Amino acid sequence: MSRRRLLLAVLLVGVALALPHAGLAQYNGGIAPPDSATEGGSQINDLYWIVMGVTIAIFLLVEGAIVWFVLRFRRRPGTSFEADAPQIHGNTRLELVWTVVPFLILVAILVVTIVKVPSVEARPDAGDESLVVRVAGHQFYWEYTYGNGVVSVDTLRLPVDRPVRLELVAYDVIHSWWVPELTGKRDAIPGTTNTLDFTVTRIGSFRGQCAELCGVQHAVMRTTVEVVPPDAFDGWLAAEAKAQAAGASELGRQTWEGVCAKCHGLDGKGGYGPAIAGNSLLADPAGLAALLAEGRDNPQVDGYMPAVSGSWPGDGRQLEALLAYIASTPELAPAGADGQGG
Amino acid sequence: MAVRVEEQVLPTWKDGAVMRWVTSVDHKKIGLIYIWSAFVFFVGGGSMALAIRLQLAQADQEIATQGSFNALTTMHGTVMVFLFAMPLLAGIGNYLVPLMIGARDMAFPRLNALSLWIYMIGAIVLLGSFGAKGGAAQAGWTAYTPLSGPDYAPELGQDLWILGLHLVGISSLLGSINFLVTIVNMRTQGMSWTRIPLFVWSMVAQSILILLTIPVIAAALLLLLLDRQAGTSFFLPDGGGSAVLYQHLFWFFGHPEVYILVLPAFGIVSEVIPVFARKPIFGYKAVAFSSLGIALISMIVWGHHMFTVGLGDGLNGFFMVATYLVAIPTGIKVLNWTATLWRGNLTFRTPMLFAVGMVALFLIGGLSGVVVANYPVDYQLHDSYYIVAHFHYTIIGGMVLGIFAGLYHWFPKMTGRMYDERLGKWHFWLFTLGFSLTFVPQHMLGLMGMPRRVYTYDREGLFEVYNLVSTIGAWLMALAVLIFIVNVVRSWRSGPRAGSDPWLADTLEWYASSPPAEHNFDSVPYVASHRPLRDLRRRLGGERDG
Ligand code: HEC
Ligand SMILES: [Cu+2]
Ligand SMILES: [Cu+2]
Repeated sequence: MSRRRLLLAVLLVGVALALPHAGLAQYNGGIAPPDSATEGGSQINDLYWIVMGVTIAIFLLVEGAIVWFVLRFRRRPGTSFEADAPQIHGNTRLELVWTVVPFLILVAILVVTIVKVPSVEARPDAGDESLVVRVAGHQFYWEYTYGNGVVSVDTLRLPVDRPVRLELVAYDVIHSWWVPELTGKRDAIPGTTNTLDFTVTRIGSFRGQCAELCGVQHAVMRTTVEVVPPDAFDGWLAAEAKAQAAGASELGRQTWEGVCAKCHGLDGKGGYGPAIAGNSLLADPAGLAALLAEGRDNPQVDGYMPAVSGSWPGDGRQLEALLAYIASTPELAPAGADGQGG
Repeated sequence: MAVRVEEQVLPTWKDGAVMRWVTSVDHKKIGLIYIWSAFVFFVGGGSMALAIRLQLAQADQEIATQGSFNALTTMHGTVMVFLFAMPLLAGIGNYLVPLMIGARDMAFPRLNALSLWIYMIGAIVLLGSFGAKGGAAQAGWTAYTPLSGPDYAPELGQDLWILGLHLVGISSLLGSINFLVTIVNMRTQGMSWTRIPLFVWSMVAQSILILLTIPVIAAALLLLLLDRQAGTSFFLPDGGGSAVLYQHLFWFFGHPEVYILVLPAFGIVSEVIPVFARKPIFGYKAVAFSSLGIALISMIVWGHHMFTVGLGDGLNGFFMVATYLVAIPTGIKVLNWTATLWRGNLTFRTPMLFAVGMVALFLIGGLSGVVVANYPVDYQLHDSYYIVAHFHYTIIGGMVLGIFAGLYHWFPKMTGRMYDERLGKWHFWLFTLGFSLTFVPQHMLGLMGMPRRVYTYDREGLFEVYNLVSTIGAWLMALAVLIFIVNVVRSWRSGPRAGSDPWLADTLEWYASSPPAEHNFDSVPYVASHRPLRDLRRRLGGERDG
């Protein structure tokens, strides 16, 4: 007995020590969605707790009844296995009650939900200046395009306290855009455009991940949302537009790391796709443009390369940036090809 | 008929034992072949799950990544649903339904054998995809387009997957027709619709669901095959098709499929609990008819798998309301089982442990279903590990525990011998402990933002702790299943003789000898209630039953 108690004490102390260390606070312990940085997301969390509250109550009630009956009515010593218990065939009134009561509970949840639905995705009023960003899902990256033509791979920069509308599209298979600390997910489906509306209320950096199985590298199709003050955002957007037009932005590196590296490796030494470091196509604008626009499935080579450039800007700036980045990165650039296209 | 076949073929085989099974049209032999082979696939699908859990035990492991990981999750799901769960239930149903209704065999014995062997061929084709160039199918058990289409899954594995499922689907269709005809036409004298055992009721509901939904998935798979091989584009947006249409067709089948799996397990539990409580089921009619209610309502809830597709508040709302409706007949069942325990004379032999465990754990899966059916909440939970946890609670907590209850309960009937009680209890406690360790933390992982079907994650701390606990739990479950196998093999060979009715149960199968003779019964007592054997015992003056 005392040994068992000792064991229990050790266990409890162990758990108590391990949990904060394990980052319990950071994740809420996983008992609810993370604290939300948007109004809509908070509404979802409220709903979650309402439904959870009801289900926990039902859980305790029914599980409690089961445990109680199991303990109370287990066969007594001296009673034989086959001894009849009272032959109760049912009770219509009771059964009616436990049909109607759950029905009413569910109706209550439904009413609360339907009342809350409009605020889950508060849509900007007509005339309201909401920031529209086009979000394109690709195997295996997210491309964000702003109204002024600025593009960004895998990192979405947003202003705080300004309504945002994401227009979700997909260029190959279905993806799903999900940043748990902002709000729920929404699918990006080829052939349709979905929208997702929210207003971020907290400055910070939020991580997200594609939620719909989209192929071999689905697990690393991640994204980050950087939320900054509105004036910082406006400044960045204008500066970035100039930098991208002048070919002086980080777009090339972003594209290599976000698009190509997920299949070919950061150093281009191969991964799901073959090693391409030093491949002559990497300095051949026309050849590379064709490959990226059409993809390739050589029967001799395992796997296929999807068309990855479907959402790239029409003025070719992203391809140019990529080529420039490759040319300036010694371990990727084909030998003797720096500067001029082969 | 069976006898003639046997005599003709015997000489080509040394002792004829193999051929006697292969050519058998006896529902009991067919049932046992179903059960055995389904169990082999259970071990296979379980091994894939163990590999998945090993890969996810820690961040950044390299045991199975990328394509091979996707093939593992795809095939784990497909094998468990189509090669384990459905055939195992078909096996138990085959074995029990004719016995329970006092019939000599199924209505169409040769059709029955045909379903069995079509299933076998389907299984070979499906698993053959592992041997195909490029490996097994990788598009998930849902095979959403365009990922499963010709451009993104050009390998043969996906085609074999489709063909295998077609065959298995045909097998289920033939089987369900056979069950319905048998149950409608071949009940023994006196067995009216309110006197048939609840397990048989659940098979009625299941067969209706199979008949109504398998044709839809068959059509979807056929169109997918055409998209892949004949250049059509029903589901390919590039050619003007609709990827969302595929999802509608898939889930029109996919949601009822959950009930195709779990209804017979409900039936099993409804048989086991009264026997070990020495009481009649509380509310026979409610339990019987709620099966039909579940079956019908479950056909209008499929959109709850598509809340994030962007169907709009109108449709999402409709599917949410319909899903909440289906919770009611399901809840009724749980309460009826609970009430059956009330004032019972409860004996916790292994079948009873599993049956009550099923009620207790299935309840959790049902309640988390109420959470995910709330569509704004599902915006967060959809496609996350929370969903993985939720449906394993319904399918393992509901169906698999129910199946184990049934296998232990009818083991003496099928083999003539008693299983080992001590090993049975070890099996139960280890399995439920392992199960809880595996799937409780997965709820949290989902809420913390871990999507399903990922081969790695880049977060540490609690994230890794939960994943590790989940992996340990999975291996405990494997250990429990090993104990089960030892128990079955040992007891089948040398367990104590069981006699025809070791549990003093209520239904007709216990009137046959253990194992039953080829023709099942010499005579069948007239059925005057849903508990004919209890009536018989009382008529024969068993005072102890008084
Ligand atoms: C989804 C994974 C994936 C992505 C993303 C990807 N590739 Fe590929 N890539 C492949 C595969 C697979 C092949 C081999 C295809 C074949 O030959 O069948 C390939 C082939 C190539 C080749 C041709 C190699 C040869 O000699 O034939 C080049 C060059 C290349 N990729 C460059 C890129 C660049 C640049 C990017 C980024 C813009 C990129 N790839 C993005 C998977 C990918
Ligand atoms: Cu994805
Ligand atoms: Cu469903």
